[in-house]
Amino acid sequence: RADLTAVPLLLVSAVGELGHLAVELLRRGAAPKACEAAARKLSVGVETVQHGVEGLMYLLTESSKLMISEMDFQDSIHVLGFSDELNKLLLQLYLDNRKEIRSILGELAPKLPSYHTLEWRLDVQLASRSLRQQIKPAVTLKLHLNENEDLTTQVLQTDPSTLLHLIQQLEQALGEMKTNHCRRIARNMK
Amino acid sequence: QRFRFCGDLDCPDWVLAEISVLARISSVKLKLICAQVLRELLGEAIDYEKILKLTSDAKLESGDVKAAIAVLDFILSSAAKHNVDGESLSSELQQLGLPREHATGLCRSYEEKQSSLQDSLRAGSLRLSRLDAVSWRVDYTLSSSELQEVGEPLVHLLLRVQRGERGEPEAVPMAVSAEKFRVLLAELKQAQALMKTLL
Repeated sequence: RADLTAVPLLLVSAVGELGHLAVELLRRGAAPKACEAAARKLSVGVETVQHGVEGLMYLLTESSKLMISEMDFQDSIHVLGFSDELNKLLLQLYLDNRKEIRSILGELAPKLPSYHTLEWRLDVQLASRSLRQQIKPAVTLKLHLNENEDLTTQVLQTDPSTLLHLIQQLEQALGEMKTNHCRRIARNMK
Repeated sequence: QRFRFCGDLDCPDWVLAEISVLARISSVKLKLICAQVLRELLGEAIDYEKILKLTSDAKLESGDVKAAIAVLDFILSSAAKHNVDGESLSSELQQLGLPREHATGLCRSYEEKQSSLQDSLRAGSLRLSRLDAVSWRVDYTLSSSELQEVGEPLVHLLLRVQRGERGEPEAVPMAVSAEKFRVLLAELKQAQALMKTLL
């Protein structure tokens, strides 16, 4: 709130600039050079600009997070005692950027390692030091996982019958989606 | 309906959709774009600017250009993967709605590069580790703290193993006594003889 009191001290047109900076901060992280440039343009201290931008950013993320309606947003900022024009600008800023902010916030949740790709090869062992004249097929798998931008790999080896069992289990799991129970829940989610 | 170039499976929906995009490009330009995609599959850099120029006539959006490259990439690498000859590929693509001229041009480019493509795919197949280099040294131990006159040869082996695709090869040093080394050599020679019978 203290940060936002800085906002009306600046020209109303400057809110557009600060709003833009706030959204950029969300998208990419801090941009000190951009803040300095804005501070020079508006002839105020860099600190003021930074506080203003951070305040706006907090206002936008909290509102987008809770997906509050126009009415509620207007009631909330009314408390700050800004001019009507400023309130309208802030509301517009919120509505314009809400969707994007929500998608950025959605990506911040912690994630389990996710599937990236799977390499495989089929080999047949024909002989070993201890035993000649064999026929032993083996499937070697290299599972590539994406763990928060880190690529990790897991090497696995199996024989064809275990692989068939694995495939059967996975197909059964997929088949679960078609049961009445799952369908009912999926319908209720929509 | 099953297609050989899809590994005897159904053709994926997205491929079917993008084939209609390919039909909008002239068959001559398509052959040139094909050549670019083949270069990329063979490990050289793709000239995206050139492809943009070639597709400018057909007035494709940037999304369509990328989709066209993706579908060509799929068709060519999948056909090579399943060892499909040019004729069969051409007829299957025509069944999917690609005009005859386009299909013929595409398949001619494919046939030229088919074996290089397959070699490149073979080289890129999963390998857990790779022997990079072997170096050796034979020493003669004169004496030790345990025994004054030892008088035995000793082999030092240094294997450089490449684990994974990136990074420096790992050095695996080992010292092998004369008898152990004889056993090692005999076993490896037997394995080599077995490999020769398969070649």
